[in-house]
Amino acid sequence: MTPKPSTIERPQRWDEPFDASMNDAMVERLLQREPFSSIDPKAFPKSIPLSGVLRNDCRVLDLQEGDIIVREGDYGNSAFLILDGTALVSLKKLPANLLGRNTRQKSGWLATLWKGLSQSNHAEVRDYNQKPADPDGTGTREDATGTRVFLHDIPRVLAPNQSIELCAGEVFGEISALTRSPRSATVVAKTKMQLLEIRWQGFRELLNRHHALRDHVERLYRENSLRTHLRESEVFAGVDHDVMERIAAATVFESFGDFRWNREFKSTQKKDIAERILSEELIAEEGQPANDLIMIRSGFARLSRCYGDGHQTIAYLGKGQAFGLREIAHNWNHHQQRPWTLSLRAIGYVDVLRIPAAIVSELILPTLPEDKQPPPLPAQTLEPNTQERRMVERAESPDTGLLEFLVEQRFINGTQAMVIDLDRCTRCDDCVRACASTHDNNSRFNRTGPIHDHYLFANACMHCLDPVCMIGCPTGAIGRDPETGNVTINDQTCIGCSTCANSCPYQNIRMVEINNPHGLPIIDSQTGAQIQKATKCDLCNDHDGGPACQQACPHDALFRIDLSNSEGI
Amino acid sequence: MLRNVQANFRSRRFRNVAIAAIAILMIALIVYLLNQSLHHSSFFTGYLLMGSFLLLTAFGMRKRLSFLPKIGSAQLWMQVHIYVGLATFAMFGLHVGWRFPDGIFETMLTVLFLIVGTSGLYGLMITRTYPQRLTSVGGEAIFERIPLLRAQIATRVRALVVESAGTTDVLGRFYVNHLAEFFEKPRGWVYWMVPNGRLKRQLVSDIGELDRYLAEDQRDIGKELCRFVEQRDRLDYHHALQSRLKVWLFVHIGFTYSLLLFSLFHMVLAHAFSGGVG
Repeated sequence: MTPKPSTIERPQRWDEPFDASMNDAMVERLLQREPFSSIDPKAFPKSIPLSGVLRNDCRVLDLQEGDIIVREGDYGNSAFLILDGTALVSLKKLPANLLGRNTRQKSGWLATLWKGLSQSNHAEVRDYNQKPADPDGTGTREDATGTRVFLHDIPRVLAPNQSIELCAGEVFGEISALTRSPRSATVVAKTKMQLLEIRWQGFRELLNRHHALRDHVERLYRENSLRTHLRESEVFAGVDHDVMERIAAATVFESFGDFRWNREFKSTQKKDIAERILSEELIAEEGQPANDLIMIRSGFARLSRCYGDGHQTIAYLGKGQAFGLREIAHNWNHHQQRPWTLSLRAIGYVDVLRIPAAIVSELILPTLPEDKQPPPLPAQTLEPNTQERRMVERAESPDTGLLEFLVEQRFINGTQAMVIDLDRCTRCDDCVRACASTHDNNSRFNRTGPIHDHYLFANACMHCLDPVCMIGCPTGAIGRDPETGNVTINDQTCIGCSTCANSCPYQNIRMVEINNPHGLPIIDSQTGAQIQKATKCDLCNDHDGGPACQQACPHDALFRIDLSNSEGI
Repeated sequence: MLRNVQANFRSRRFRNVAIAAIAILMIALIVYLLNQSLHHSSFFTGYLLMGSFLLLTAFGMRKRLSFLPKIGSAQLWMQVHIYVGLATFAMFGLHVGWRFPDGIFETMLTVLFLIVGTSGLYGLMITRTYPQRLTSVGGEAIFERIPLLRAQIATRVRALVVESAGTTDVLGRFYVNHLAEFFEKPRGWVYWMVPNGRLKRQLVSDIGELDRYLAEDQRDIGKELCRFVEQRDRLDYHHALQSRLKVWLFVHIGFTYSLLLFSLFHMVLAHAFSGGVG
């Protein structure tokens, strides 16, 4: 029998609303109040009406006094509009344990020796008899959206001179939601509150149609972040303050791709690579006029060129890297109008800053030192198929197979990816044993994973540049270590909800069932189910001398590498 | 970065060989001077050997104490282990005066040293060559999971053969006569000694030749069987080479402890019967 194609209804944008309980009455009520009452509904296309944005991209949160709304350092996809009540924004850095984060406690040599020699013979043992009772002044409660953490005593933690109040009608969390950057401050409910949480897709629609809101957000971004982001590139190293002001004024902010790339990642993996490249949103196209210098603000972009009938990956660009400088510099030096020689495509999602070529030529290129000037473009007289041209291109190209592998597997997100050289690895598993011995006899990675050539990219946390696992943790248990930037999980505050494990596109977070020191399961008194915890590689955060796995490899086969920058590979 | 690694290994090897060679020359010079001044150099070389044995054995302890901070990376320990191990051959030669001992105890000690030393050299050779052989054959598998993977393949092959039984029994007969043993049992010791792809090639070729007796749908099953034969063969190859990588270490470490005990006893005897010489 000949197989028939399957027929389904085309998936729609709002097939999965943010909150299924949003109803017409709530939407009507929201439409009556600012800022929605001043937005012209006609400004929205029929396919994405304002009421649809409110119904599908928003949810109403009812909070109690002391509830933590966002934590400093968290990543999030939502902005918040205060409907009722007052929130406090902390002006000081709150202690890590108060935010549910892991705190590093390095033991001495003898204590470590004793700990190592007295390890449990059972898997995933936790000793809750030794846990101090509520040491950090926080508590948890359940509400419709899941578990909420609250402060017992707000004035003790947030004195009036160390916080500012936000009242009804004010918006917060918007820059973090739009630029995929960590939250810059902790926000707590000062009173009983009602909040409208707007996910970034909906917030982007609102920005596009509500000029006042867009101007407000853009002003905030220009005031607080833009100059810092521009300074991240060495192109602007020699630029003085006044010139930077002019550059910032001319800079345009744009977003491409999808924030939720991790959700689509597995399904797009099944597509043909040529199809995948073509489905990526184009930021700049080969052959088009080189009108702008494009700076990557966050996310990743693929540099590709037409090769035969397809597109070949040349490199990928990450935060702080620039595209188009070579063309602009060439045109400025040679008084030509050469177009972009490569295409730039959004991998997942990308935020970019566009600086007009005229500004670059006038303000940046004259200040660039000789050694920072990009090389001129190859002469145009060469035919693309001549031997000479091929040799030039090959000499300039890195291993495109490796680059394409890294991009396709999204390993470019990893700042501490574990790579094993299989031509040197004797499969002795000393690395796995060392990991287990450092984590109370529980290994935090598997010596398995995708292989390219003779390199195995092991299933170990890569401590990503864009840590999608950190989005949505209800207790803040997963977070970046402020000193090292490593992503770690606080076992004490992890409630085993699996949000992080489900979000990790690389399956590098494992949910484990925990046992008591006798090896018997620890049971939830309410449900009777065994308690789970999220576990992953923590780069031996508490261990002096670096990751035990790398230290334990006698054959130089295992190393950690920052894959987020293709220039380093 | 990935490309710079090989160049670093070459320069490291050159440096370490040079250090080991200089150390051996210096020891030989000291032995020569001691002998010239009518001192007994055996105690000097004996203590050096004993110290080397302890240092070499400590590598095993370092592996077991990976949870301890700041005890040096295993690759540094490995380099020390390799070059000190190589230097002990020269030290041993200087100690015994480049002759084979004649006493029973000394002969046993020498044999133990040679077993440990040559097993070390064998280990060095296979740890430097087998990984590439394993990588080039593909089908990466964790050693402990190989029996499970073999059982899974055998189950799937049985199911395939049962599925093929509809039209003709050609594949069923071939399975009973040729494939069942290959899939159901582990490979013999001859394969373990000399792993090769001869049986795999033969079975794949035989299945190919059955094609003309098979119905259309059974041919696809035949191709699937070939894939399983190749998969199973890769697992067997991994098993053979990976088990060798483990067995040599078992031998090396086992005899190391015997050598250490015998050496300690030899040291006590040497002092007891030295008669004040040394």
